[in-house]
Amino acid sequence: MALLSEVKKDYGKLKNYVNGEWIDSNSDKVIDIENPSTGETIGKLPMSTVDETKAAIEAAHEAWWAWRETPPITRGRIFFRLKELMEQHFENVARIMVQEQGKTIDEARGETRRTIENVEVAAGIPSLMMGYNLEDGAAEGIDEDAVISPLGVFGAICPFNFPAMIPYWFWPYAVATGNTYIIKPSSQVPLTQNYLTKLVEEAGFPPGVLNIVNGSHEVSDTLMEHPKVKGISFVGSTPVAKYIYKHSAENGKRVQAQGGAKNSLVVMPDAVLDRTVSNMLASFYGCAGERCLAGSNLVAVGDVADSLMKKFVEASKKIKMGYGLDESVNMGPVVSAKAKKKVLEYIDSAEADGAKILLDGRKAKVPGYEKGHFVGPTVIDRVTPDMKVAKEEIFGPVVTYLRMKNMDEVLDFIHSSPFGNAASIYTQSGKWAREFRYRCQVGNIGINIGIVAAMAYFPFAGYKNSFFGDLHGQGQDAIKFFTDRKVVITRWF
Amino acid sequence: MVECDFPECTTFGAVIRFALELEKGAAGVYEELSREPKAAAAAEMFRSLAVAHKKRGELVEFTRQQKLNEMILEPIQDLKREAYLIDTKTPKGVDVKAAARFAGKIEETSARFYLDAAKIAKNLMAEAARIMDKLGKESLANKTKLDSL
Repeated sequence: MALLSEVKKDYGKLKNYVNGEWIDSNSDKVIDIENPSTGETIGKLPMSTVDETKAAIEAAHEAWWAWRETPPITRGRIFFRLKELMEQHFENVARIMVQEQGKTIDEARGETRRTIENVEVAAGIPSLMMGYNLEDGAAEGIDEDAVISPLGVFGAICPFNFPAMIPYWFWPYAVATGNTYIIKPSSQVPLTQNYLTKLVEEAGFPPGVLNIVNGSHEVSDTLMEHPKVKGISFVGSTPVAKYIYKHSAENGKRVQAQGGAKNSLVVMPDAVLDRTVSNMLASFYGCAGERCLAGSNLVAVGDVADSLMKKFVEASKKIKMGYGLDESVNMGPVVSAKAKKKVLEYIDSAEADGAKILLDGRKAKVPGYEKGHFVGPTVIDRVTPDMKVAKEEIFGPVVTYLRMKNMDEVLDFIHSSPFGNAASIYTQSGKWAREFRYRCQVGNIGINIGIVAAMAYFPFAGYKNSFFGDLHGQGQDAIKFFTDRKVVITRWF
Repeated sequence: MVECDFPECTTFGAVIRFALELEKGAAGVYEELSREPKAAAAAEMFRSLAVAHKKRGELVEFTRQQKLNEMILEPIQDLKREAYLIDTKTPKGVDVKAAARFAGKIEETSARFYLDAAKIAKNLMAEAARIMDKLGKESLANKTKLDSL
């Protein structure tokens, strides 16, 4: 099967986008951007300095008031233009994502769609950020209004698994509500955001309204510490999310910090097995398991365990791995050699703990892509709740199979996890489904759906160590996060 | 037999790619048939079918971009491309009957592909399934028109 063409072979050294200009970083620290399927270097990324980050913050602050005074309908119209540009460049965005992240082209197209959906929702900002009022709300002849106002400069520190979408959970809402913004893309996958920002520029956002600063922790720390930054959004691992939450809050910021996950997919004895297995494959192996909504523990309840296992392993064997620009490929590599090593260590630990490896992806090879970071679909049976692989986030295409007696045991297991991002149940029973959605303490519940990815107009975040903050990403929560309520009480003599 | 670079239909994108190649192949065949001197009586119909297949291609492209939902992006296992390959080597010097017979086979295969894909897609990509069903039925109607020539 011929590959779809790459947008470019080499993207060169990336620049920052500050105050409407593409600027070279002066930093002498530059890292390679790698294609995880081929192992080739496809670009260079400068690690921007503290001063460069401060300059971006100042530019965003300077741009803020004029942007805040721009009527919401005008701000919304620029988002409509951006949406049109994103539709025109849809395929390029998706293909760049495949090149730098390793996901399949369908996954990349799906992510591009979700990215655009956030722009579509933000374009409706006049309706979304309306305040409210009450005539005679304070007393007779004294009216009371609540006005929704932007706050200033916000920033996002972004992860490697969704190069396009995750920054778009935040910045369109921030900017549409009248704030200005700074994105620090993941240093592993900055290319997609770089490309999208060229579309942002073309759409006509004024200079300084959206800025991109490439780099690492110097950029992040500066964003968290600078007095002119009002809030930080973050997605990544739990230890870093905790740090971001604490450090940003210490510096007086609003924070929403999304962390790791360990999601269970629970199969009840009455589940429709063929459909269930097919849906679970997408959850466990989609994006090579590198998503915070990926299934990780497969929990079989009662006597369904053996028949489910057989079907699931057979279906897993048919997953085709390869470079995501081959449209017949079902699963790409993990993002880096380091990520692969970590996943393999987890599989080794399960074996050492006495679990049984039914399908072993450790030695997976893709002909022609020997330098790619591929891990094959892996199914580990006889996992018990106390094993490391049942408790920790693996972030790879690894299924840990647990057998349980009933719903109480399942819920006790899920609730014993420090994470609370998502959980799914597969059943035809309304009673079980209702009980699960009612009792299960996680942020996202799936009923016969293994990837519980909230649409742009719904809020997204988890519970417990999967999220630090209160207002979630996307939807009305995003509007609230990026604005404040100002009360005005009026009397005319 | 054709041999466009068809992918195995194991993913949503591969099914769509296959459909795009079918539409491109069909449009090309109709354009060539519309220039056949001995089939001149049906030239107008072949031209309009060529245009229709190009538009169908645009609809398929739109489907790929707009109807993909990553929440239900499941592997596809029951659609074998070998069953739907079409012959796009347009025969030369054919009369109306022979041209219609040749094109009819393409429409028949297209109809089968879209209707089978719609059945499979119903579970995996419900919105796309409606479009595939429509295209399948259109191909059947085209086949009926061609049979009447």
